[in-house]
Amino acid sequence: MSDVLEALINVGVLASAIRIATPLLLAALGEMVTERAGVLNLGIEGTITVSAFGSFVVADKADSLWLGVLSGVGAGILLSLLMAVLVSSIKVEQVVAGLALNLFGIGMAFYLFRAVYPQTGGEMPRSDTFDFAEIPLLADIPAVGEIVFSQHWLTYAAIGTCPALWFALNRTQFGLELRSVGNNPAACDMRGISVTRMQYLALAFGGLMAGLAGAFLSVFLSGLFFVDVAAGRGWIALAIVIFGNWRIGRILAGSLLFGYLDAYQLSLQARGLEVPHQLLLALPFALTIAALVVNRRRSQEPLHLGVPYFRGER
Amino acid sequence: MSTDMSTTPGSSSGSLLRRGGWRLEKRLEVKPWHEVVTLVGAFIVGLALCSILIAASDKSVIDSYRALFDGALGSRRAIYETLVQATPLIFTGLAAAFAFRARVWNIGGEGQFFAGAMGAYFVSDLWSAHLPRGVMVPVLFIGAAAAGALWASIAGVLKARYDTNEIITTVMLNFIILLILSYLLGDLWRSPDTFYFQTVTLPESTHLPLMIDGSRLHWGFGIALAMAVVVYVVLRRTALGYEVRGVGINRTAGSYKGISVPRVTVLVMAISGALAGLAGAAELAGVHHRLQLDISNNFGFVGIIIALIGRLHPAGVVVSAIAFGALVNGAVTMQIQTGIPAALVDVIQGLSLIFVLTGAVAVRYRLQRTSSDE
Amino acid sequence: MNGPGANSVLLRASGVTKRFPGVVANDDITLEVRRARVHCLLGENGAGKSTLADLFYGVHEPDEGVIELRGEPIHMVSPRDAIAAGIGMVRQHFELVTPMSVLENVVIGTRGEAKVDLRTARDRLGELCDLYGVEVDLDTPVGDLAVGQQQWVEILKALYLGCEVLILDEPTAVLTPEGIERLFTTLRRMASEGLTIVLITHKLHEVMEISDDVTVLRRGRVVRTSLTSEVTMADLTRMMVGRDVDLDIDVTEASRGDLVLDVSGLDVATESGRGSLKQVSLRVHEREILGIAGVSGNGQDALFDVLVGMQPATAGTIVVDGQDMAELSPAARLDLGVASVPADRIHQGLMMDFRISENLILGRQRSDRFGRRGWLNQNDIARFADDSFANYDIAAPSTTHVTRVLSGGNLQKIVMARELAGQPRLLVVHQPTRGLDIGATEYVRRRLVEERDRGAAILLISEDLDELLNLSSRIAVIFDGRIVGEVDRRDATIDRIGMWMAGVSGAPGEAPP
Repeated sequence: MSDVLEALINVGVLASAIRIATPLLLAALGEMVTERAGVLNLGIEGTITVSAFGSFVVADKADSLWLGVLSGVGAGILLSLLMAVLVSSIKVEQVVAGLALNLFGIGMAFYLFRAVYPQTGGEMPRSDTFDFAEIPLLADIPAVGEIVFSQHWLTYAAIGTCPALWFALNRTQFGLELRSVGNNPAACDMRGISVTRMQYLALAFGGLMAGLAGAFLSVFLSGLFFVDVAAGRGWIALAIVIFGNWRIGRILAGSLLFGYLDAYQLSLQARGLEVPHQLLLALPFALTIAALVVNRRRSQEPLHLGVPYFRGER
Repeated sequence: MSTDMSTTPGSSSGSLLRRGGWRLEKRLEVKPWHEVVTLVGAFIVGLALCSILIAASDKSVIDSYRALFDGALGSRRAIYETLVQATPLIFTGLAAAFAFRARVWNIGGEGQFFAGAMGAYFVSDLWSAHLPRGVMVPVLFIGAAAAGALWASIAGVLKARYDTNEIITTVMLNFIILLILSYLLGDLWRSPDTFYFQTVTLPESTHLPLMIDGSRLHWGFGIALAMAVVVYVVLRRTALGYEVRGVGINRTAGSYKGISVPRVTVLVMAISGALAGLAGAAELAGVHHRLQLDISNNFGFVGIIIALIGRLHPAGVVVSAIAFGALVNGAVTMQIQTGIPAALVDVIQGLSLIFVLTGAVAVRYRLQRTSSDE
Repeated sequence: MNGPGANSVLLRASGVTKRFPGVVANDDITLEVRRARVHCLLGENGAGKSTLADLFYGVHEPDEGVIELRGEPIHMVSPRDAIAAGIGMVRQHFELVTPMSVLENVVIGTRGEAKVDLRTARDRLGELCDLYGVEVDLDTPVGDLAVGQQQWVEILKALYLGCEVLILDEPTAVLTPEGIERLFTTLRRMASEGLTIVLITHKLHEVMEISDDVTVLRRGRVVRTSLTSEVTMADLTRMMVGRDVDLDIDVTEASRGDLVLDVSGLDVATESGRGSLKQVSLRVHEREILGIAGVSGNGQDALFDVLVGMQPATAGTIVVDGQDMAELSPAARLDLGVASVPADRIHQGLMMDFRISENLILGRQRSDRFGRRGWLNQNDIARFADDSFANYDIAAPSTTHVTRVLSGGNLQKIVMARELAGQPRLLVVHQPTRGLDIGATEYVRRRLVEERDRGAAILLISEDLDELLNLSSRIAVIFDGRIVGEVDRRDATIDRIGMWMAGVSGAPGEAPP
């Protein structure tokens, strides 16, 4: 019992909570921007998988982690642009396009993985991984140093993105217009703002962020690629956006909470404790459903989310 | 008055197809043959694009596709096996199609599949020792349908009551049920003689009889076909089906004329969940005979794709489920014979779906020559 | 012609044609709009006015013909091009981002620095408001404003971009007579300061009141452009409808029968508080049409919705034939013989992707007439559809065609055929002729009168005063969710009803009982 409690505030658990939260935060921020522009992208799971593969294969074959990250991001953006073509130009139903993207993306990533690394039955191929980027001095602070300042550089970048993104969305002309597109595309169109262009840009940003999330999974965390590498993180990111009611601060908090629950249950399992860790894992999903019900009156959900825009149709 | 009918697809910069004296116009009516052409075309384009992938890995495209075909439909045995693969997909495809007809976005087929399998296991755990097969198998299917319906109803009730987005809730419920199952398999339901997360093998009384002796083709396939007919009849011939389609077309007008949209939503979710749950029973009682975490090959999600490719029509669902079953089945042979990874099938399916979707939008328009070229 | 000075042509359409599937919306339109004048485009619903405005604003491209600005042809593929050219537009349906503030709405789409400079924008907007006497709080979310105010936001949006031509599509539909007066004063002032105004309307007296020039459109074609001072209202009417029509249907007063609908003390709360109902009491008898007049947005939607059961009443009773149905569902009210024709037939009345025959039974899909125990009888449905086609002159290829292919008039006939088939006790009708051509309008009105004579009680909510004065036995006026006056048709004058519509309470003795 005391072990169960100790793990709650264990330094290692807290540090790994932030690590686990990183890809969730990245993907959720990207999805939030996409949704603000009115596009519900259910394809992030596939995008993360493709990017994880892109990062992994380039990092391994070109022997450069940075090139790996770059190609992962590139792959993420490409897949999101395919989504943009489907939903923004051709006006396919968004839900369906997102699911198609998942199927296609995951299939493609796994196919290429098997094509590049034929199944041998031996060990799984492994790439290098980034080292932790300890911040000088700060990392020496007891506990806090280990928890906060001994993370990967991408984790710092993800957290740093939050205020930058807040400023871009709330204090720039571009951000104002992006949010308007998600709320009333017709109004924007009549003001000379290209709805299509906005949605392409938003999706590209979403792809970039999901791409970073994918890269984080392969070339930061594990150095591995496997078909289930995303392990539902794309869906969790979607949940976090709703849980966070489309607000950046709450999305950050949600990512950390979900990351923490995962880290906590992992440590309980590692200690061989007989607790139903599955129920801890299910908690984020139940919380998201609860958030949907609770937030419904003051929801920040974009008014035109998920609805294709046709000029001239009202 | 013009505003309701007028549209050129694409806003300003999306006007890719409007230059040079050609313009897209919306058709008022889409004929069935338009849809068939789209489907076949999409599938061919998907295969063609994948042949580039095959060629890129220095394999013979023709040999690969021949192996794929042989494995899928090349022999009696292959055909039976294809139908075995298609069986759960027909159920989950019907589940998605029925819900989507009402524009209720049930993305939770995967979870409802597991709920169904769990329901089936639960009743067989209770009664399989006491009941003969003739009674046990129907009971098992009823248990599965009830469990699937119940699980889906959570999302249905939340939507009806609080207007929560069912896409999100069903996706969340997928994860939750899998985690519950994982918990049960690690605890209450775990077979005592194994370290794996699985139950004991179920007794003979729960096994679905075979349709063809010597094959693996079980009566689940027959039940799936029967359900397709039932779904068709319900949609076309009953007041409920009328209301389901009506809610899908225009729920505002529906509620003005007395259709209770919340009630229809809950019912649709429950029926859809029941259909997906039947897939769980069919797989459990027809193929695996014990419950474990990997009894679904993504059936719930693939069912959604099948429903869409089948244009939400029961017959379309059956056809595309069999086509997908054939692909999955043939892919195994292809991988063995030519070394092409079976994951190619997912790519073919994904690409086909993308082109079907594109085509489905495209057939709503026709290219029209404008009389003045600027 | 003396150069770019006064009275030179600013905007010209020559030979402009625009087709939509099945309709020629604009057919070889040629017209000139002169600088610093108020130019009205007059025509009935469906005459092609809004389409023409959309062409001037780059929403659609003309299929044929050229649009010229300042003598130069301009090719517009998007509103962006129109804005750049100095054209501004206020569409009939507002294009506002409701959760955002007035200021933010105005700033959207202005090309400026990357960072929003809300302070400068606020100052400039403040100047504009002062200049034209607009009073609006710049920080209020637009969704919280009254409709009339929202219209001013739309006008500010256009002015803020520095437009030279301002197109307004039916701007008076949402305004009180008083609001219209203010709008017109402002428009006049704008014109005198050099702004060119194109005003789209179907109301004759507005043309006479405000415009310098008027172009009449009919069935997508230009009938004539004239100086307003040189035409009379009678001339314009003839041009609009193409013949001297008398829409006055012979409504020989039938003697009213028993009380059917008795509404008393009805409150309906809406989320925003706008368009709610307060203490509404109404009575409608057999063989009687009670007209409800009012400026749009004063609670008509809530009244319709609460009567058919789409919105709950927060207080009061709705008694039909002695039974209070305030708590009943829409389905239960149908069973009591309450039929309804909604204002927006496409969104509220019909399933556009259903077969026509299926639409004809909507609401009665569970009745014994079309099946048993939840099963539908295809033969009964087909027979009923054939009868409806014959009885209502529905022009369609077949009863099994998809409803989408029909014209507006035929769509309304389907709604009427369906709603009248059950011989309703009470018929609630909202804007029944909006957007219909003359023929269909006459048809619909005649049917309503026939239905009255059959014995139905009819509540007719309309924004068309002529319609109300023609058809109603009595007219009640709704303003800000209250019934502010009620008058017998014989005593009704436009002046008196207009006063009520503007919210000026009636003199003692004129108030409703």
